[in-house]
Amino acid sequence: MIQQLILNGLIAGSIYAVIALGFTLVYRTVKFFHFAHGIVYTGGAYLAYTFFMILHINPIISFFLSIILCALLGIAIDKSVYYPLRVKKASNLIFLLASFGVFIFLQNLIQLIYGAQILTLRTGPVREGYHIFSAVITPIQIWILAVSCGLLAILWSFVKYTKLGKAMRAVSDDPIAASLVGINPDKTILASFAIGSALAGAAGILISLETNIEPTMGFSAILKGIIASIIGGIGSIPGAVLGGFFLGIAENLGIWKIQAGWKDSIAFLILIIFLLLRPGGIFGIKTHKEQI
Amino acid sequence: MEYLLHILIIAGIYIILSLSLNLIVGYTGLPALGHAAFSCVGAYVSSLLALNLGFSPWIGLIIGAFTAILLGVVIGYPCLRLKGDYLALATFGFGVIVYSIAKNWVSLTRGPMGLPGIPRFSILGFELDPLWSYLVLVSILVLITIFVLRRVVDSPFGRVLRSIREDEIASEALGKDTARYKLIVFMIGAFFAGIAGSLYAHYITFIDPSSFTVMESITILLMVIFGGMGTIHGSVVGATVLVAFPELLRFLGMPSSIEAPTRQMIYGLLLVILMIGRPQGLLGRYRFR
Repeated sequence: MIQQLILNGLIAGSIYAVIALGFTLVYRTVKFFHFAHGIVYTGGAYLAYTFFMILHINPIISFFLSIILCALLGIAIDKSVYYPLRVKKASNLIFLLASFGVFIFLQNLIQLIYGAQILTLRTGPVREGYHIFSAVITPIQIWILAVSCGLLAILWSFVKYTKLGKAMRAVSDDPIAASLVGINPDKTILASFAIGSALAGAAGILISLETNIEPTMGFSAILKGIIASIIGGIGSIPGAVLGGFFLGIAENLGIWKIQAGWKDSIAFLILIIFLLLRPGGIFGIKTHKEQI
Repeated sequence: MEYLLHILIIAGIYIILSLSLNLIVGYTGLPALGHAAFSCVGAYVSSLLALNLGFSPWIGLIIGAFTAILLGVVIGYPCLRLKGDYLALATFGFGVIVYSIAKNWVSLTRGPMGLPGIPRFSILGFELDPLWSYLVLVSILVLITIFVLRRVVDSPFGRVLRSIREDEIASEALGKDTARYKLIVFMIGAFFAGIAGSLYAHYITFIDPSSFTVMESITILLMVIFGGMGTIHGSVVGATVLVAFPELLRFLGMPSSIEAPTRQMIYGLLLVILMIGRPQGLLGRYRFR
């Protein structure tokens, strides 16, 4: 039983980690809670559904198409909503509320187009799972785990070693100094929105292989992403990944004794405990402590 | 005519909600995103008392409002240490927790099935059945809320609240115990939100958790921002306009499966436009910092 719960936690955690990583990439360059990240995740699932189930395009191609469209959606949100706010030097809270507005708008747009009912994305017949350490894992779940770990590794090396990744880190540390040495902050922000949103879309597609999709799915996903980032220490990339896995496992162990409906409450309880006792996250990031 | 009365009653309930949130958000500058949690507690406590123990709705209204105060302390106290978007997130989290308690504590709240058959208010044995009598009741409570909140914000106490909003450190330096003020503000806001929730429950006679989601909290916040933060007449205007305006969609002959998302889309778009164009709202004086 406990092995199964930990395994389920790892799978959920890998999805949370991908969402939290995308969220963190955006957060690092713009320094506000991009709540609409969650609707890009929903968008990824619905785009994949449209391409694969309605238009019957090859699954690999339709998944890549959806991820690219998600990146474009992220850029569009930044250009149309956040850019005017940036020009006016609005406060973090105004950004957050505008982001809520975008989220509500797009979620209901999706509901208007596809209806409120549950949809399923089936890539093949459901196969029996493998048994590892008295836990069951299905082939799809192995795929989810592998792809998300792959994405995390790619992103890690991208931010660490490429020129654009270094530019992102520079802008996140000090935007003014970064622009002094010739890094264009606007371009870097666009890049982080594109990559972060692509990650959100990928997470949405991965989860839709496993569970049903519905218009409201992005809400709890982005909450988990934000909570994971805060647990790991907001703005820290390894922190976001670890926070995601920590949250996934904690949530699934939490429902060992109580019903599954309490998952969201457990996540928020963890968040509130962290905000009060250890606002810098597990690693105790100090730089943002004064903001809390 | 009945329809118009119904809209007015709902608008009145939302006026109480947005007035009480305005005290927290607009006057004291605390971005609380979990206001529906207070009305949820007010509604559930007074309905459960009436259904299970046969309490009169009037007593339920009072007990519900005081339970909401208790929740205000539970939420307000840990949130005293947080600021800005972290405070927003934590109150948001409490909103989700209260919603999921209402949804998952099935043995008490019947979960998503909701509570049907909640009795209406009655005076001297006569049930307040005609809509206009209910409208009178709601109007009286709206007027009481406006009166009390006006007294609060115009008093020296209210001046301290505005000073906390403008510069918390400065008001602390002047010897004001800002934590105590913030906690009291949360309690007052929770009290009136609890009353609004109970009014709603005994008017509709059916409640389920879906009326108290965090999206509902954001809608109330939108009413406060739209009307204008830190003004009482702003909240009255904001709640009335935002309740009445989407009703026009119904006149366009939209079925409810299209009407509900369209209304939410308008709210979302309005929130974005307000944030970009006029973050202090139509009649407001204060914007988030």
